[in-house]
Amino acid sequence: MTTKLKEVDVVIVGLGWTGGILAKELAESGLKVVALERGTPRTSENDYSLPNIRDELRDVVRHDLMQNTARDTLTGRNTPSQEALPMRRLGSFLPGEVVGGSGVHWSGHTWRWTDMEFKIRSNYEERYGKKFIPDDMTIQDWGITYAELEPYYDKFEYTAAVSGKAGNINGKIQPGGNPFEAPRAREYPLPPLTPILSSEMFSDAARNAGYHPFPRPSANASQPYTNPDGSKFGACQYCGYCQRFGCEANAKGSPHMTVIPSAMRNPNFELRTHSWVTKVIKDNDGKRVTGVTYTNVLNGEEFEQPAAMVLLCAYAINNVHLMLLSGIGTPYDPVAQKGVIGKNYCYQTGAGATLFFAGKYFNPFMSAGGSNATIDDFNINWEFDRGPHNFVGAYNVNGGFNTALPIGYRPVPRGTPQWGSEWKRATAKWYQTAMTIGASGSVMANRYNCYDLDPTYRNAFGQPLMRMTFDYKANEHRMGTHAAQVINDIAKSMNPTQLNPATARTDPWTVVPYQSTHNTGGTIMGTNRGDSALNKYLQSWDCHNLFVVGANVFPHNASYNPTGPVGALAYWTADAIKNRYVKNPGPLVAA
Amino acid sequence: MSNAFRAAAALGLTLSLTAVAQADGDAARGQARFQDCAACHKLEAGSNDVGPSLHGIFGRKAGTLSDFRYSPAMKRSGISWTPETLDKFITEPQAMVPANRMPYAGMASPSDRADLIAYLEKMSK
Repeated sequence: MTTKLKEVDVVIVGLGWTGGILAKELAESGLKVVALERGTPRTSENDYSLPNIRDELRDVVRHDLMQNTARDTLTGRNTPSQEALPMRRLGSFLPGEVVGGSGVHWSGHTWRWTDMEFKIRSNYEERYGKKFIPDDMTIQDWGITYAELEPYYDKFEYTAAVSGKAGNINGKIQPGGNPFEAPRAREYPLPPLTPILSSEMFSDAARNAGYHPFPRPSANASQPYTNPDGSKFGACQYCGYCQRFGCEANAKGSPHMTVIPSAMRNPNFELRTHSWVTKVIKDNDGKRVTGVTYTNVLNGEEFEQPAAMVLLCAYAINNVHLMLLSGIGTPYDPVAQKGVIGKNYCYQTGAGATLFFAGKYFNPFMSAGGSNATIDDFNINWEFDRGPHNFVGAYNVNGGFNTALPIGYRPVPRGTPQWGSEWKRATAKWYQTAMTIGASGSVMANRYNCYDLDPTYRNAFGQPLMRMTFDYKANEHRMGTHAAQVINDIAKSMNPTQLNPATARTDPWTVVPYQSTHNTGGTIMGTNRGDSALNKYLQSWDCHNLFVVGANVFPHNASYNPTGPVGALAYWTADAIKNRYVKNPGPLVAA
Repeated sequence: MSNAFRAAAALGLTLSLTAVAQADGDAARGQARFQDCAACHKLEAGSNDVGPSLHGIFGRKAGTLSDFRYSPAMKRSGISWTPETLDKFITEPQAMVPANRMPYAGMASPSDRADLIAYLEKMSK
């Protein structure tokens, strides 16, 4: 039996960065907001302090902060002709499942995606002609501009305590920053983190090769900081436990210590944890949604929560899943290329080299999310001519450490046995003396990479699992080959004792090993309802009181980490709701 | 000069410098230094966060607030908090109480510490 609850103004599904930002902003504007989070409540004081932290076994091997695949997972395959099988253990990507979501266990890398992404099809067609873009590459312009998003990037960076060095303030290039970045209105809230030896060595080599290294901007507070909402940050201690862990020093910008406690102090806001939303309810005419149904996972009780507005703020994959389960919008069909829900699923690719320097001590146990240096010469640098290399997209190259953990980080030269006493000798010899150079690369949308509902497998609630069809295409192989060459040239110039060179990722994608928790697309934003699920305000073209927020709105995936635009778009959507939608509910863009 | 004498002289010098620095501590400047602590410590009574409340810290025995979960190292330390012991502790917390669980590397400048302690003396009452 389902208990019907009293209607509220806004129901938010999922309480991570996007849900937290919207909860705080909308509760402050006077709306009654309820957030439903399937995970458990977690706080820095109870859960991210000793003895509950720096536990690689618990958090990395056993995925304590992540989605439980025994309850819900995905099925995966490479092409539509294959049978998809369920992913029974997390591997390739790690959706978070606690209050704070993946914002608890992220590294903190915060980038501004630019018009190079937002106008991607126009840019490439203008420079290289329509034929340069392969027929099956379904990239499209996003319908938003960098100029529109700039103030919201700024707001997110100041909320999350991003440490970095501006490269371009109002068009003026700044020494020490990223010269290719789009103009920003002001400096980062905090100066960059202290660089580590491996990052400095990479920077020197990159500079000697004519590239433009800069410190990677990251939401790891380089100094104590109080954000504009009054949330207090401690200084980063370089403990090296950013990615996959909560921060014990309150130095990593995370929703559970910023926007969520701000929302919790507001009497207009209520959080219900252990609340698993199974469906968004459509009105009879299909033009509005009336609320959601959810199950309390502790006792199995079912509820209907009516609401004037529904905001899907779960992990990117789960937002798309909920749209498909609720029958909102037309599901995408890769064969007919009709429909939009599930379209343009994208991922990221990469290449990496390990450099061994006998006698050098890198202290890899000391690092932070932002202790690397980056070059964007092959990324947001539009001067870099993709023509001769025949690929669409970009990659950034990083040197240094980010998270090098005692169980998982065991660099050994290629050819070393994978177990036994020789492996033990090698791991003891090289642990201190190795460093990495890696590339993170974009993945362009392809008509065959998509989501739909699995015809066979079901989750604990009896609902069809999400089915993911994905593989890297020739475009990504060509880009990976270029990236590997650039990495290896830089690496060789550093004269390492031994080098495990980078190679392009050309094998079919599989659910193991871990690759990246940057899953994008599925409910993409765009300029018209024929080829996108949402308008530029992340409002459903079908149901105007439904907004879907997260990386699922990206029409393709860039080389950069997604959280910068995810946070900025959440603030952008909050403003659109507060300033326009509430006053005059209806489509914010004429369909 | 014998080594023992040299050590005693150095110790005396350190103690007297500390005393001078504390006498000169400026609570107004110390408020800015407290930024280092504020992400985890509150000054109100009973308000524990990642770290214990600092209300009434001076004169308290370390590790004794009943509603805060201290590390065994801090509970065993036997420290009684005075401006002098706190000064020594925040210089390098892991040196004075090894294996305590405060994630803070330390405040190197004696004058910064003196300012902070002056601020705490004023605000923790």
